[in-house]
Amino acid sequence: MTTTLKQIGAFSSPPRVGLFVTCLVDAMRPSVGFATLKLLRDAGCRVEVPDAQTCCGQPAFNSGDTADAAVLARHFIETFEGYDYVVAPSGSCVGMTRAHYAEALADDPAWAERARRLGERTYELMSFLVDVMHFAPADVKLDTSFTYHDSCSGLRELGVHDQPRALLDKVSGLTLKPLEGNDVCCGFGGTFCVKYPAISNAVVGEKADAIDRSGASLLLGGDLGCLMNMAGKLKRKGSSVRSFHAAEVLAGMAGGPAIGEER
Amino acid sequence: MSARDTILNAIRGGLGNTEIHPMAVRREADALLQGLPSIRPPLLEDGLVDAFIARVTSPKVAATAERIASASELPAAVGRYLEARGLPAVVALQPAAPLQDLDWSGFELHDEVAPDETIAIGVARWGIAETGSLVFHSGADTPILANFLPLHHLVMVRADTILPFLDDYAAATAGQRPPRNVNIVTGASGTTDIEGSLVLGAHGPRFLHVVIVGTPDSSE
Amino acid sequence: MQEATLSFKARAKEALADPTLKIAIDRTTGTAERKRAVAMTQFPQFEAARERGKRIKDHVIANLDHYLLEFERNAIASGAKVHWARTAEEASQIVVRLCKEAGAKRVTRVKSMLGEEIGLPHALDEAGIERVETDLAEHIVQLGGDRPSHIVWPSMHRTREQVSEMFKRLHRAPHQEETIEAMVDSARRELRDKFLTADVSISGANFLLADTGATCTVTNEGNAELTTTPPRVHIVTAGIEKLVPSMGHAIAMLRLLVRSATGADVTQYTTFHCGPKQTGDRDGPEEFHIVLVDNGRTRMLREGMKDMLRCIRCGACMNHCVVFRQLGGHVYGGTYPGPMGAVLTPMFDGLEQSRDLPHACTMNGKCQEVCPVAIPLPTLLRGWRDRSWREGLEPTAVRFGLGIHTFVASRPRLYRLGTAIAVRVMRLFNRGGLVKGMPGLGAWTAYREFPAPAKRTFMEMYKDQEKGQ
Repeated sequence: MTTTLKQIGAFSSPPRVGLFVTCLVDAMRPSVGFATLKLLRDAGCRVEVPDAQTCCGQPAFNSGDTADAAVLARHFIETFEGYDYVVAPSGSCVGMTRAHYAEALADDPAWAERARRLGERTYELMSFLVDVMHFAPADVKLDTSFTYHDSCSGLRELGVHDQPRALLDKVSGLTLKPLEGNDVCCGFGGTFCVKYPAISNAVVGEKADAIDRSGASLLLGGDLGCLMNMAGKLKRKGSSVRSFHAAEVLAGMAGGPAIGEER
Repeated sequence: MSARDTILNAIRGGLGNTEIHPMAVRREADALLQGLPSIRPPLLEDGLVDAFIARVTSPKVAATAERIASASELPAAVGRYLEARGLPAVVALQPAAPLQDLDWSGFELHDEVAPDETIAIGVARWGIAETGSLVFHSGADTPILANFLPLHHLVMVRADTILPFLDDYAAATAGQRPPRNVNIVTGASGTTDIEGSLVLGAHGPRFLHVVIVGTPDSSE
Repeated sequence: MQEATLSFKARAKEALADPTLKIAIDRTTGTAERKRAVAMTQFPQFEAARERGKRIKDHVIANLDHYLLEFERNAIASGAKVHWARTAEEASQIVVRLCKEAGAKRVTRVKSMLGEEIGLPHALDEAGIERVETDLAEHIVQLGGDRPSHIVWPSMHRTREQVSEMFKRLHRAPHQEETIEAMVDSARRELRDKFLTADVSISGANFLLADTGATCTVTNEGNAELTTTPPRVHIVTAGIEKLVPSMGHAIAMLRLLVRSATGADVTQYTTFHCGPKQTGDRDGPEEFHIVLVDNGRTRMLREGMKDMLRCIRCGACMNHCVVFRQLGGHVYGGTYPGPMGAVLTPMFDGLEQSRDLPHACTMNGKCQEVCPVAIPLPTLLRGWRDRSWREGLEPTAVRFGLGIHTFVASRPRLYRLGTAIAVRVMRLFNRGGLVKGMPGLGAWTAYREFPAPAKRTFMEMYKDQEKGQ
């Protein structure tokens, strides 16, 4: 019988967290990774960024290529198994590991069990900060308004809804303007947006209109894929709404260029 | 092999050919109906009749309702309904004793419901407080079409036949030979087939008026 | 049952370019979504009821042969005649034969998705039997000569303006006033005598009650009862998964079905049909036939799609689907549109013809969330993708691309190098923070901007930081 870290109480020794930055953040927007790193450290974690990390395998899995997804799932498990927790700034990638690795590895019970056990310790950033670390950002100030899009995997596979709002509520000067259809898919859907671009466009077009109608200055969210999709559409339609990952705002790192702005 | 056997074999194969014990299946089925209060909505009011009327007249059901003390007051209630709407006192009366026995002087009655009937008067066997529904059984004194052809359907239901939930109707008739038709009627005929907007009087009645007779413990 | 010969993408393109269609879809599904949401707030026990509903259906499916035999026994005892059909063709043939035996010139039909699934409208037309659709929406579909586009609102794709035009052209005494009320009245006048003069009526069933042999229909218009009472013969066609043990179980399912479909608590008319007219009955049919249809259902049981047999055809999944709400139902090409259709159509029509359906989904999970019997629709859709991959139906480019991706992503150093290069290539096309004119990104940039990456990857920058410390 092992004692879980939660039972130890207020973390007599800081939990050792493996940060999975996700392939999109690694390649497209490192600032989200650094913001995540800062938040986790501020929350009292000992954070490591394993060099062997790559991709969670979701593109293969959702394309029906279960065998390739299983290869990447095993790689992910081997890379992260040694940590107390695994945290990623994405509900989508965490949803893949928590909800679907066991499915991808169903033919291999030993690996499926390893996936299940790692899944229990794998968290989306916002929910980890709030639910596990009971963290609230201090001394972060941003005088503006924002609206929030709940990305589907985080919302429905992981129950991430209140946590980002609770965290953003602690940023002084920042006010929430509700988004009509905040829980409606933005039309990204991973490879869906390039396999069926016209349909994806119609969906994100409605989303961009709703974001504009919210009257907010910033669009925030917890998944870079969805944010790139929405930011890209907002830019194309000439909207002035600027898009950031919520982690960037929470870490006080939203002073730089927004998604799709020159840096 | 017959279609019947092919299908049944395919099912058994699909289910892994496990043996079925009818008594066990029965017990499992019964267990699935335990704890009904936890899987159905609450009544709108405390009293059964109040709860029933609240449903009948709620925007969702959109029927009208009134209470009378005894069935003998029904013709007068019908008279008031017709007069308020400027309708003639020409009505199709369901050939059921509780209605036929009343004093309908001043009305022109017939018992066959015409395809373009304006007004029909019927009697429901039960009311359901949960949904504001009326329950009819087809039979010698209950033609089914009488519930569907008229434009105005006026229905008498005795307060002591109002049941709390649909399940209570199922329990009340369990084990009996079912009639050809059980009609559970909840409000007037409606359609949302054109752009989702609700319009009453699609094929069946456009107006449903429910007259509740007596009180739950003393019907007449 | 295929929609013309256009590809899914071509049909989608046409639908997306039709502004009237989008207005029509939004009016109907938007109303349904709002009303369902209100109904949920008034039914705090919904989650528990949903779990129970799921268990009831699972119980029936786990004992399906037992319940079918019990139903058959009781239906026969009530005076019904029970027929079994393995396939759509077999089912249609039985119905047409019964109509011919009854000497039917005119049949009235109550909307039934199973009827559509087995191609019954077409089979009746082929047999030269006059078919009168009595559900208002099906009547509109019949007048328009097209196909249902939603399982609850088959004429959802028509605006009121289009309906008005059709009624004026085709009804004997059409409406004068341009209101929906007047249009509904026009249909009432048009159909009334047809109800009463038909020789045979055909309905589906929302539930089959094993313990009595009764069938259950739910309608709001009252057309089911007006249809099935006057003719001498009533024929029911129903899928074998429609069974429930008893009326009590049917009631538990009804509470879920109606709220999920329209947001009402119950439909205006819930009717149980048990056997033919009984001695002394004032009206009702003299013959009552029930056709039990397999058409792929036993295959679903065998091929890992058992969960889908729980489906009670409420339509909530499509009302809440972002893809359906852009395309409407016709684009899906099968009898059933939306998420449930994307699961079922490959089963009915073959995966090769319909492989787009399970792919044209963002996997956002909303359909599963609103499903009243908790069908894991995204999982089933991914199941089709998995099968499509294994059967080699996926495009070579995709297979090749994912193969390379896996090869690289399972080799961290190669992966690091690959991302670093990719970022630098994208930076070559950076124009003010956006990637412009880069080959291979056309599917994205045709519709939206592609935000440019930073100059270096996170891992590169992080390593430098670590070294500096």
